[in-house]
Amino acid sequence: MKRILIVDDSFYMRTMLKNMLTDAGYEVVGEAPNGQTALELAKETNPDLITLDVILPDNTGLDVLKGIKKDQPDMKVIIVSAVGQEVIVNEALEYGALSYIVKPFSEEKVLEAVNKALEE
Amino acid sequence: MKSREQEYKEIFIAEALEYFDSLNRHISELEKQPQDDRVLAEIFRLLHNLKANAKAIGYLQISDLSHKLETAFSLIRNRELQFSDEVVTVLFDGIDMLGDLISGIDNPTPVEPDPVLLRNLDIIVDNLSDSTIELAKVQRFTNSKNLSLSDLIYIQIKKLDHMLNLVGELIIDRDRIMSLSKELNNDDLKTVSSHLYRITEELQYSVMDARLVNIGTLFNKFPRIVRDIAFAEHKDINLELSGQDIQIDRNILQIITDSLLHLVRNAITHGIEKPEQRAKSNKPNAGLLILSAQNDRDNVVIKLKDDGKGIDLKQVRKTAVKKNLVSAELADGLPDSEVFSFLFEPGFSTAAEVTEYSGRGVGLDVVKNAIDSIGGRLHVDSELGQGTTFTLHLPTSIAVKGALLFEVDNIFYAIPLIHTEQVLALDKDELHEVGDVMVADLKGETVTVVYLNELLNADEATMKLGDKTRLKGQVQNIVVVSYNNRKLGLIVDKLYRQQDIVVKALSKPLDKIDLYGGVTLLGTGKVCLVLDVPAITRYFIQKR
Amino acid sequence: MAKNIKKAEAVEPAANTPEAVTETNTAPAQPAANDAPGKEEKVHLIVFKLGTEYYAIKIEQVKEVTVTPTITRMPRTPEFVQGVANIRGDIIAIVDLEKRFSIRPEPMTDSMQPNTTYTLVIEAKEYSIGVVVKEVPQSLNLPMSKIDRTPSFLQDTNIKDNYIEGIAKVDNRLIIVLDMLRILSSDEIKQLTGK
Repeated sequence: MKRILIVDDSFYMRTMLKNMLTDAGYEVVGEAPNGQTALELAKETNPDLITLDVILPDNTGLDVLKGIKKDQPDMKVIIVSAVGQEVIVNEALEYGALSYIVKPFSEEKVLEAVNKALEE
Repeated sequence: MKSREQEYKEIFIAEALEYFDSLNRHISELEKQPQDDRVLAEIFRLLHNLKANAKAIGYLQISDLSHKLETAFSLIRNRELQFSDEVVTVLFDGIDMLGDLISGIDNPTPVEPDPVLLRNLDIIVDNLSDSTIELAKVQRFTNSKNLSLSDLIYIQIKKLDHMLNLVGELIIDRDRIMSLSKELNNDDLKTVSSHLYRITEELQYSVMDARLVNIGTLFNKFPRIVRDIAFAEHKDINLELSGQDIQIDRNILQIITDSLLHLVRNAITHGIEKPEQRAKSNKPNAGLLILSAQNDRDNVVIKLKDDGKGIDLKQVRKTAVKKNLVSAELADGLPDSEVFSFLFEPGFSTAAEVTEYSGRGVGLDVVKNAIDSIGGRLHVDSELGQGTTFTLHLPTSIAVKGALLFEVDNIFYAIPLIHTEQVLALDKDELHEVGDVMVADLKGETVTVVYLNELLNADEATMKLGDKTRLKGQVQNIVVVSYNNRKLGLIVDKLYRQQDIVVKALSKPLDKIDLYGGVTLLGTGKVCLVLDVPAITRYFIQKR
Repeated sequence: MAKNIKKAEAVEPAANTPEAVTETNTAPAQPAANDAPGKEEKVHLIVFKLGTEYYAIKIEQVKEVTVTPTITRMPRTPEFVQGVANIRGDIIAIVDLEKRFSIRPEPMTDSMQPNTTYTLVIEAKEYSIGVVVKEVPQSLNLPMSKIDRTPSFLQDTNIKDNYIEGIAKVDNRLIIVLDMLRILSSDEIKQLTGK
């Protein structure tokens, strides 16, 4: 079973994502509500994939992305963002994020992006 | 039953109200320090989440309003809009209205956003700092603000774990005090300790209750999972659910989640036949899978029943012999219930030849271990051609369990009631030495019996489990336990009462000893060892 | 192990030499060590007897010393586990270090009270255990430099686990300072399983 770490500061978003992913047969190994926890959990759980919200209370998602890529350069990361964040998203893609999902997302979109990223 | 939509809604409202409170706090801070980037970023983040969440759940008025406010704040952040008095008023009004919209979600008459306010927001956003256009005065829709807090709180399960542990400790101390007050025979002490008894009991049930969740939270995931597996396997499956409103401890549910998924997967992949085969055996094309939960005394019973091809006991016997789990002569004589138990032997069912015809075994030992770990029981029943039923007996709560207390060689022991079948006294003459074990006839059923003192205390080199002469006295007290479809009678020295016990896990380095599931303290302050029935059964099998 | 201890005594002269060198070396460097003891780092030990030798544990690792409470035997555990006891509501394993290290117990003397033993409650990172000793443990303060951390005899014995932190010499008494964090090596902890 592929293992996924969810990084999002909203409990609601995390719950939705988690349900979508577990229903689709993925294992959600952790949920991080902020950048600090995200970095810790990324190391601790070493997931197959991370979904990363770009706006987080402590650091920006970009810093988290850089932090993860520094220690785990091969980690697969998908950006989750809302409309209006195109600048950050583009930057994130440059830093090695695989793709992005725009909030509010549909189950199909999420699974499509996740499946694709995991196949790569 | 709480549907997923209902759950999402509750989470949304609880989180949105939290955001609303934070927004109020931050905007008041901002009024004093308009240039504080940290506060601005935080407000921006909160509105941003609110917008995205509201849009996802479909509360468009909330997401639109959040969006407008977010735009205004991003302009302030970029120094394109002054945080002036008029702007502040509009923003405060906007956040107030956000609060009203959120708390009005459940109102029968929906709260409508004030068009004047929306227009004001558009004005400050579009005209930026150009204040030539008059902002219309907003009629305050709430004159006196009602302070209201959410009725719902979210709490981390580990805080509840901690509370439950403390309650456990409290119960142990309470029992000690009860027993002391009896000894001291002081009326005041008796009164206060019986009051203490009632309160701790109520506290215990309240904490246990706070940890309960509906089994539906797990069951409701299955329709989709079953659909997907069935689709992949080219099978047609009807899933029937029942008992979703039965409640169980959240951690227990968490622990059995994987096991249940595993059993469901197995039932579809290996249990239920393909439509063509089903047609040949006069079965309806669509396989039936029934997942049900019900209460049974203090336990919860979850059943998973399929109408598939069932388990071929003949093959299981053959494989058991091949794997040297049992001799060929013995295998034929084994009762069916014991033959089923081979399925849970490590690696038994992963063997390719078994998977082909019974297919039941892939990692069934893992399922059993998970259930053992929470003190539950797993039972399997199957009829060839008719289908298979897995029954999971689970405790409702982890911490407190009913147990049977007894003594062996002056040491107190307890066995959780979930594992005890019956208690009886038999005359020594009713026990028979057969081979190297003792057996007794219990209402027509031949059950293996073992003297616990011999099993636990004899020198392992000279242990004789089938030797009746090692028994003390004429009448033997026997606790019949059941594990893995197999009954075993345990002869004890002295039998005491049934009692609710709080099992304390053994701390390191003793936590690795699997013979004991933990310890409990009796009212007298004495330590009582809690025997782990799965481990004692395994130890017996290894030693006989 | 009793054999090992004997060996340790046999090689004592050899072990002495480096210690003597160390002392002469450090003495001039810290001339005021005795006058102003506060200046030198001190170590506070709890000293007890196992067999006929003295052993010690750093006080930070000792949670309390108590008269041994009733011990409930736990069948089918390694011999050095005496059982479990209820110490202020906590249930902890009681171990017999003489058995653990195969130390020959001291023959009973008149001054010993066979019915009263003491238990040192040790709190290590991974576990807490009670260690039973026959005589009242003593407390001892001594300068860090009195502990020889790498006595050469250790190489001569076959003590694999380095649960011996060092050797202290006080008034002609040799004290073996134990590192309680390592006293139950992972091997021992494993030995408790698989029953």
